[in-house]
Amino acid sequence: MDAIQYISKRLLLMIPILFGISVLTFFISHTIPGDPARLILGPKADPVIIKELQEKMGLNDPVYVQYGRYVSGILQGDLGNSTYTQQAVVNDLKRYFPATLELTLFSMIITVLVGIPFGIISANKKDKIPDQITRFAALIGVAMPAFWLGIILLLFFYLQLGVLPGAGRLDTWVSPPAHITGMYTIDALLTGNWPVFQSAFIHLILPGITQAAVTIGMITRMTRSSMLEVLRSDYVRTAYAKGGSQNRVLYGHALQNGMMPILTLIGMTFGHSLGGSVLVESVFSWPGLGKYAVNAITYLDFPAVMGVTLLIAVLFIFVNLIIDIFYQVIDPRLKYE
Amino acid sequence: MLLNVENLSLSLKKDGSYLKILDDVSFQVEKGETLGIVGESGCGKSMTALSIMRLLPDKAKLEGKVNLEKKEITALSKKQLEKIRGNQISMIFQDPLTSLNPLHSVGKQIGEALYLHTELSKIERKQRVVHLLKEVGLPRADEIVNEYPHQLSGGMRQRVMIAIAMACNPRLLICDEPTTALDVTVQAQILDLMNKLKQMNDMGIIMITHDLGVVAEVCDRVIVMYAGKVVEQGMAEELFANPKHPYTIGLMQSIPKLGERKNQLGSIPGTVPSPKNMPLGCRFADRCNKAMDICRGKQPSTVEVGPNHTAACWLYEEKGVGRYDASRGERSEATFHH
Ligand SMILES: Nc1ncnc2c1ncn2[C@@H]1O[C@H](COP(=O)(O)OP(=O)(O)OP(=O)(O)O)[C@@H](O)[C@H]1O
Ligand SMILES: [Mg+2]
Repeated sequence: MDAIQYISKRLLLMIPILFGISVLTFFISHTIPGDPARLILGPKADPVIIKELQEKMGLNDPVYVQYGRYVSGILQGDLGNSTYTQQAVVNDLKRYFPATLELTLFSMIITVLVGIPFGIISANKKDKIPDQITRFAALIGVAMPAFWLGIILLLFFYLQLGVLPGAGRLDTWVSPPAHITGMYTIDALLTGNWPVFQSAFIHLILPGITQAAVTIGMITRMTRSSMLEVLRSDYVRTAYAKGGSQNRVLYGHALQNGMMPILTLIGMTFGHSLGGSVLVESVFSWPGLGKYAVNAITYLDFPAVMGVTLLIAVLFIFVNLIIDIFYQVIDPRLKYE
Repeated sequence: MLLNVENLSLSLKKDGSYLKILDDVSFQVEKGETLGIVGESGCGKSMTALSIMRLLPDKAKLEGKVNLEKKEITALSKKQLEKIRGNQISMIFQDPLTSLNPLHSVGKQIGEALYLHTELSKIERKQRVVHLLKEVGLPRADEIVNEYPHQLSGGMRQRVMIAIAMACNPRLLICDEPTTALDVTVQAQILDLMNKLKQMNDMGIIMITHDLGVVAEVCDRVIVMYAGKVVEQGMAEELFANPKHPYTIGLMQSIPKLGERKNQLGSIPGTVPSPKNMPLGCRFADRCNKAMDICRGKQPSTVEVGPNHTAACWLYEEKGVGRYDASRGERSEATFHH
């Protein structure tokens, strides 16, 4: 099987999964007690008007009719209207998701660039001082609550030193760049707008580090254990026997072989952060998916809840697909099975 | 002289304390010569090889001297060692299934040695790799360059390992049980190949094995190791015809005769002492049917027992007193006390 066939097969396999997810979320959100119509109109509303709105929203139809309506809407790119923001859910997602995606990408880049080298050093210097320090730091990263670290960073870099901004995605006097991807740093680069890029970038730093702290800890530990395994193997000895330097052996032979579990973990954490980190987004007033989702749940905004869930599910599947393709590229033994 | 190993001792850290793994090992390898190292599992054959390569575990204490031609390997820095490994000294390992990187193509793995040690361009390297593959007797060399280890059989992989080792025309090739994991017919082919390559390149070979059949087939000279020490050393023919050390005699007797099924080395009763509590005297004494009182009390020194033939055994000590090696200061004193 070649690459294109493999990918199309994987994409086809997504359809039943998505169907399952839509059924699941639809029914879960409909078994939660609470009446959206009453919620929109407030506690003092006239029962007649409530009844009318319930009728209009189709809340009295049988559940399968409501589901059928929902699915046919999805297929037309319509996720319904949010009962809370009064906007089309699709538009809401387009607005909030890029902010989360940008933050997640940024924190994942930090995670990979810091976590993997530290894990390698830690494994290579097993039980020596660099290993002890790295393991201790990783433990702190994993154990520390993200919001707490966020607040500490805010106190220090924003309030105390005043070198980094504390909230939002842009300085107030800067207007967002033209909407291309919705990620401000990337759109600013694409339109060549340097001042906006700068502003967007420095706003990413503190929330990015806060979100990365936990994942760095996890990736470091995973890299360490995976590399310890690989460094014992015979082909690593062969690489040294050929005259390879330590860096060449570590990064040219060992890392690639130890990459599988690391990639899996990266995929998991990436998919996870794409759902939005409510705590980090709250601390830094980051207008992302996490905050949107919490609002939707708080106000029993069914269409929004289902929209967010569906989006996260699709993203998770996509990330997994990409990780699987990475496996195939790295490991010739797997060649599109 | 190609390789000179002088009074090599090695201690490794295990569970917090150092254990002496090699004790005062000395031997030489000449150009164009194949030296066999034989002995039971755990006697330190691999560690001897890795000491020469300086590929030892982290907390290893190495004493003594190793010289390759004029270069003192034991005095080289990390960077200098990298220039020698895979270039002037190459090594082939026991298990060809795990010794190749599963994620790199055959061509890339052989080419890496060339990349590290030669100035060849990418195209020249590729040509040389194909040439090497043909030289080690692989069919379809043009295709195998682009294949991965899992697509090859054990024998083919070992040929690839040999190609890697031979890539830069090394002066010395160390083979650590290169045929143990292969079946008998492939074994013979690989040994033939190594003989051929040795003659073509005029290099020295160290052949580590516990298979005396392999020794008989390819080795010019043999050293026999027991519990981290060299107990006997001589020309292969002389040693086979006229083994002196009771351990060597035991080894010879344990070769299964035709039609006889026997574990290798099965006929020597007892087990090798562990480095943790090495006996004071001769390390083989507890298993030796000719052991005398003195054997358990003091270590024998190495004495000449024939032309180019030495052994470390009290049985031959009287004849060898005159040739006593003065460099063993501590032990010679102990001997002179009595
Ligand atoms: N990393 C290590 N740390 C401490 N001791 C070790 C280590 N590796 C091997 N040893 C010890 O060194 C001694 C010699 O081992 P070595 O591998 O050289 O034996 P060998 O003669 O090659 O045996 P075999 O025929 O089984 O390959 C053994 O007692 C072994 O337990
Ligand atoms: Mg060995």
